[in-house]
Amino acid sequence: MPKDYASIFIIGAVIALAIIAMSLFYLLRAVKRAKEIGISKDKIKTAITSSALFSIVPSIPIVIGVGIMMSFLGLAIPWIRLTVIGALQYEIIAMDQVEITKMAVITEPMVATALIIMTISIVSGPLFNLFFYEKFKNKLVDLQNNNKRLLDTITGSLLGGILAGLASYIIAAAIFAPKATPNPDAVTVTANGYITLITLAISMAVMLFCGLLIKLFKWKWLENYALPITIIVSIAAAYGLSFVPAFA
Amino acid sequence: MEEKNDINVHNNDFFKSQHRYGRIFTAICLFVIAMVPVIYCLSAGVMPEWKLILSSWSFILSYLAIGLIEAISFAPLLGVGGQYMSFITGNVSNLKLPCALNAQNILKIKEGTEESEIITTIAVAVSSIVTTIIIAIGLIPLAIFGGDIVKVLEPVTPYVIPAIFGGLGIVLLSKYFKLTIIPLAILLVVCIVTFSLGMDLGQSTMLTVGMVVSLITGFIMYRISRKKEAKKAG
Repeated sequence: MPKDYASIFIIGAVIALAIIAMSLFYLLRAVKRAKEIGISKDKIKTAITSSALFSIVPSIPIVIGVGIMMSFLGLAIPWIRLTVIGALQYEIIAMDQVEITKMAVITEPMVATALIIMTISIVSGPLFNLFFYEKFKNKLVDLQNNNKRLLDTITGSLLGGILAGLASYIIAAAIFAPKATPNPDAVTVTANGYITLITLAISMAVMLFCGLLIKLFKWKWLENYALPITIIVSIAAAYGLSFVPAFA
Repeated sequence: MEEKNDINVHNNDFFKSQHRYGRIFTAICLFVIAMVPVIYCLSAGVMPEWKLILSSWSFILSYLAIGLIEAISFAPLLGVGGQYMSFITGNVSNLKLPCALNAQNILKIKEGTEESEIITTIAVAVSSIVTTIIIAIGLIPLAIFGGDIVKVLEPVTPYVIPAIFGGLGIVLLSKYFKLTIIPLAILLVVCIVTFSLGMDLGQSTMLTVGMVVSLITGFIMYRISRKKEAKKAG
């Protein structure tokens, strides 16, 4: 594992603190504004608790991602990279531009090179926000005022597109995964197609079941927990299935 | 009390200052993020291999393009505060956006209202804080146990996205069935054809393609319904 420098941990702490400061600042402003425009305390509380609860389980794979990357980049750099913009899949492809995962000995110039590629490649989103987002957002607001139906169609289409893009990729990749030859050089665990499809089906079924319980028994409290419960049950099922010899 | 569903409120001082502070935080965070490689090179006393960086230009350009498309595409969905935070903290499609949609769905918020902007901002802010803290805490077992803990938990990592999007998919399908079902069918065919040809376009590319195809089909459906309405009126 490459050497970790105290200076990188210090700048990592600065980044983590800056992110928490930014988030706290926006959170407090949003809560204040919510009260001004008459959003009830209960709604604010529900938004906070449901979001906190929802974020716990999907955050754990990010920690695992830090663990996967640490053998190539040390502990501090993956921590920083996965705390800021980007995601594990992107970071691994980016760092592998210098073929770092295939090297028997990882040198410091290689780590520096990988780090620069990872940093440069993801700046377009924040740069867009810095220079163009306000103008773009104002155009969207104009569109909303002049043709709300068209903006609703655009919003619905984007959400539908995210679902369509991800679902089609997950399903097709799962169908073809059992036939694919496992890559011995792969850095991350390769998904088993059958487990992916079963996880997807369990997640859909649990959500439908929660919806049914909410409707039949008027369990409004369950609305806050339906998606976190769905995620936990389906991940637990996937974890159990990963030990079944038939899926190995 | 101001009207929480008034769509003109976006032009008020609150939203102008949301943008101003967003730009300030983005500039600060970008600067600190850009300093990481500089500090690493100074600490290690090494220089990067510039030739390797230059030879990665096609990768860098393609990811810059994907990042730009994502920032534009997610803009109508994340709210002002949510957009600035999401494009600093990352994990947008697999964490921040589903978290915001979950909060909106639970509270039955109407999209495009100031209420939706505020709730989305709260959701993304809370999610960013929780994730940042969990990752920082996660460093402790990683430092102590190293790769052993990763080996125990790693088998679940490929299944987190299907676990989130199965349940969330039901919510989105119930809300936007007409707008989702046609692009889903088209993209499923595209994915099956590309995979059978031995090509893996990757999840982030399919996400972008999905949004483009969905926008085209959504716009066609919008035009058709407008024409039908005009015929009825005429």
